[in-house]
Amino acid sequence: MHADPQSVSGARPIIRVRHACKSFVPFKGRSVEAIRDLTFDVAASDYVAIVGPTGAGKSVLFDCLLGLKTLDSGTIQIDGTQVADYVRRKSGGIARIFQEDRLLPWLSATDNVALGLQIRGVPEKERRAQARDWLEKVGLGRFADALPSELSGGMRQRANIARAFAIRPDIILLDEAFSALDEITAMKLRSDFQTLAHAQKMTFLIITHSIEEAIFLGNRILVFGSPARLVHEIDVPPGAAEDRGLVDSIRAEIRQCISASGRDDIASRQA
Amino acid sequence: MVDVQPATNALEKAIPVLGERRNNRLFTPWVSSLLPFVFLAALWQGASYYSTPFLFPGLGKIAGSIWTILTTWDLLSQGLLTWARLVGAVLISLVLGVPIGLVMGLSPRVDHFIRPLVKFFMGVPALNWVIIVVIWFANVEVRIAFVLIVLCLPITIFCVYDSVRSIDRKLTDMLLSFGANSSQHIHLLMWPFVKAAVFTSAKLNVGNTVRTVIVAELVGAPLGIGRELDMAKNLFDMANVLAWTLIMVAMAFVMTNTIEFLERHTLRWRGQSHATG
Ligand SMILES: Nc1ncnc2c1ncn2[C@@H]1O[C@H](COP(=O)(O)OP(=O)(O)OP(=O)(O)O)[C@@H](O)[C@H]1O
Ligand SMILES: [Mg+2]
Repeated sequence: MHADPQSVSGARPIIRVRHACKSFVPFKGRSVEAIRDLTFDVAASDYVAIVGPTGAGKSVLFDCLLGLKTLDSGTIQIDGTQVADYVRRKSGGIARIFQEDRLLPWLSATDNVALGLQIRGVPEKERRAQARDWLEKVGLGRFADALPSELSGGMRQRANIARAFAIRPDIILLDEAFSALDEITAMKLRSDFQTLAHAQKMTFLIITHSIEEAIFLGNRILVFGSPARLVHEIDVPPGAAEDRGLVDSIRAEIRQCISASGRDDIASRQA
Repeated sequence: MVDVQPATNALEKAIPVLGERRNNRLFTPWVSSLLPFVFLAALWQGASYYSTPFLFPGLGKIAGSIWTILTTWDLLSQGLLTWARLVGAVLISLVLGVPIGLVMGLSPRVDHFIRPLVKFFMGVPALNWVIIVVIWFANVEVRIAFVLIVLCLPITIFCVYDSVRSIDRKLTDMLLSFGANSSQHIHLLMWPFVKAAVFTSAKLNVGNTVRTVIVAELVGAPLGIGRELDMAKNLFDMANVLAWTLIMVAMAFVMTNTIEFLERHTLRWRGQSHATG
């Protein structure tokens, strides 16, 4: 319904980040640089995994992609328009799945999943029907009327995922969406997420600390340094997650990049 | 991190067990909370045997006074009038206080401007207001309403303000990331928190107004419990004084419980996370 046929074409970049810079002046102390001269492209129906040291500014990048924070300099274009305009023009074209479920505790699972649709002005009957549909798809059909406090952590995260999918975004951003879950639940959710995203032909960007997750979900891995900048990029061949040898070599490659970039960082600070 | 489900389950299981044990006890909590009052009443009745009725009238005499009040429209209507003043003041202070608290919570600039004023008004004692309004206004209802509202308003404002400020920034971000505008932000996220503050402030203000309404009525209100108490004082009619006092306590009790009932009903989702006994 909201899918823009052009945005799933594959070749044209759907996200274009150019020389992005962002610093914060914290409550106390010196200013913190979160993003430094970051440049990268994401093509439509790319599955991009972002890995990098903690505090590198990865979550801040997502805030900027959603227009919640503005860059100090540089540009971000989505689908050919500046972020601020993109967000305003078609709200819901981009959705974010947070690490914590961030469900509203007073709403039933159905109403939580329907929240994004409600914000976009979809009438109540229609949005609840769609929400139930999505709950069914993530395996929560029986819990449509449950409050978040009546759901387990894994179930809440499923509702969180359904909420993002319900607005049928072109792009989904996942910020450590599976890291608060036990490994078995996370594994199941990861593959469910992948199935849904592929079926909906969505582009997704995922921030993760798990290299296995990056290889499993991504067809490209962007390795960030701290502050956020692109230090390396890896193309993941299909089925790489099953190839132990390949996983190990990618892991080694990423480790080496991150530690090398760390040394650069320390060196530049000392200089 | 581990799935939290087992812990929640264990808790949910534990609570009915607690409830069952309570029911098996000799006294239910309700009865046991009455015991201290039975003790107090017995003490009073004992005192009445050794004292004159105008200091310690017997329980029977007090009960008689209550009965007379409840069955005589001329008296009962005085009670209802005071009660209406209470409810009116609490409601008006909500209507005025909720938007003020909300705007303060939303805008630091408004907060900086209004907060000192609210604090200033909080420091003025009730009796001072009574004297001020007697000079300002001729109309009795306006006098009483003004005093009660000016005493309730700061409490409502601070309750609402705090509730808005307590909203998790992460929920706000989540809502904004779905493209919510400011009216959706207020309606979808803030309003449920404000509702909770409305109940809290209403409960606090019921206590607040019950304790001050008589002061406001005593100074020149021709009708209401204040005047009845004034007359009882002049006649040294202790039974009547106590009868009205008990009626007012009951009034506050009924109102507080009604609000709590509405609160439990409206904010059912909260009961799920904090099991109430
Ligand atoms: N609102 C803010 N005010 C001040 N500093 C901020 C703010 N948001 C983020 N930062 C700073 O920006 C830097 C990057 O933060 P960010 O949350 O993006 O890291 P991250 O890469 O997501 O790390 P992690 O992997 O641990 O989640 C940190 O040093 C953080 O302190
Ligand atoms: Mg982060």
